[in-house]
Amino acid sequence: MDGFTAAAASGMRARLETLDLLANNLANASAPGFKVDREFYGTYLSADAAESPGNGTGSVMPVIEKQWTDYAQGSLTPTGNSLDVALKGKGFFVAISPSGPLLTRDGSFRLSSGGDLETQDGFKVRGQDGNPIQLDATKPVVITSEGEIRQDGQLAAQLDIVDKKAGTDLSKHGMNYYNFPQDGMAVAGADLQQGSLESSNFEPAESAVRLVTVLRQFEMLQRAVTLSTEMNRQVVEQVARVTS
Amino acid sequence: MIRALASAASGMNAQQLNVDTIANNLANANTNGFKARRTQFADLLYQNLIQPGAAAGSQTIIPSGLQVGLGTRPSSNDIISLQGTFTETDNPLDLAIEGKGFFQIRLPSGETAYTRDGGFQLDATGNIVTADGNPLEPQITVPAQAQSITIAADGTVSYKQSGQAASQVVGQIQLANFANPAGLNSIGGNLFSQTDASGDPTVGVPGGQEGIGSLMQGYVEGSNVNIVNEFVNLIVSQRAYDANSKVVKAADEMYQQVNSITQ
Repeated sequence: MDGFTAAAASGMRARLETLDLLANNLANASAPGFKVDREFYGTYLSADAAESPGNGTGSVMPVIEKQWTDYAQGSLTPTGNSLDVALKGKGFFVAISPSGPLLTRDGSFRLSSGGDLETQDGFKVRGQDGNPIQLDATKPVVITSEGEIRQDGQLAAQLDIVDKKAGTDLSKHGMNYYNFPQDGMAVAGADLQQGSLESSNFEPAESAVRLVTVLRQFEMLQRAVTLSTEMNRQVVEQVARVTS
Repeated sequence: MIRALASAASGMNAQQLNVDTIANNLANANTNGFKARRTQFADLLYQNLIQPGAAAGSQTIIPSGLQVGLGTRPSSNDIISLQGTFTETDNPLDLAIEGKGFFQIRLPSGETAYTRDGGFQLDATGNIVTADGNPLEPQITVPAQAQSITIAADGTVSYKQSGQAASQVVGQIQLANFANPAGLNSIGGNLFSQTDASGDPTVGVPGGQEGIGSLMQGYVEGSNVNIVNEFVNLIVSQRAYDANSKVVKAADEMYQQVNSITQ
């Protein structure tokens, strides 16, 4: 393939992956605490081209080499359930899964009959002391904006709210969880709202615009591929022709 | 391509379930003691197209990878345990609970079910029963000669006979309280049954322990369905469905264009 066709084809592939990300964002419009993924376009220079002295001349392919997660705040929806907690601002709850700790912004907790504070998947929620939070299942639960859990006016536990370290990114685990990064998390100041849930930060209007943009860019690139194949055909059929 | 189509389909499926739940909530807007449900969603697994930390060139590594999600799934539809609105009926056997508790109802099978619907009646033998004829637990029997029935805020049921000044106490209604009422299982007929998620009930007299609630005679608790909220959710859900269907269309168009490259 010549450079023109390859670059356009690479751009088409990148737009397909953009559509994959967009489709997932749209599908999760109703998942509490979901944060949208956005594509990050880069250019690809083959390793040899990058190291050659005149590296500006090689074909440069647009590729999506990573996605970034937009951690913008989702809107808070009141639910009236005392075990629903929304995070305002930065931070994550820590859930203890059988395979280790996980992070989540989905604060739709429940209380097991044994008094464990759990996520929807039955993972225990971690307190600031590093242990699962244990409450008295028979008493009402009050959660302050600082993350203190009070029962009968007494401090029963403190929710562990952590934030990602500056410059690091989190990978998504699925089921509204993020993987706990190996280099640990930073302590975050908690700002909670009991009886509310954070909605997904997906914006329908923006997504509609992005959908159209992706579609039109794809169309342009498809024209470019068609154009270049047409040019190649003309080269083969006309330039090589000796007599008219 | 297949990823975008599958993600959009999972989103459409999830919104369908959301609309089903909203439809049931709206259908029960006038059901006494009905508690609305809300559907919750979670994202599905992610496909790692590029592993974070993979080599981008001989000298550089990729600081964050490329993860593409594969859609959504409904994770639960739990009960919203907000208090419903109270309606005055003046019927002496209509009871509303002002608090978190549930009435205990004995089913024909001998099991105990729980309800917030306080529209009680008397059966032929004077037992206090639900509209379906299932008796309250513990059973309370009002004699046929009772002129007026009084149920106090603490659940004490008493009656007056004609010609007698003093009222006779026949029993006390007990309520059950759950640690996690959102985890109760709806079994129809306005009844709930306990599950591992809801925990075991704590039984007490009304007004006794904190949060269990006290009784109000002559009132029934309506549903806690907020029509405005449900309609807003319906619109949001419909638009989300719409948006997902647009993705299907976009994916289809892009696929068509790929096919039209070679003519």
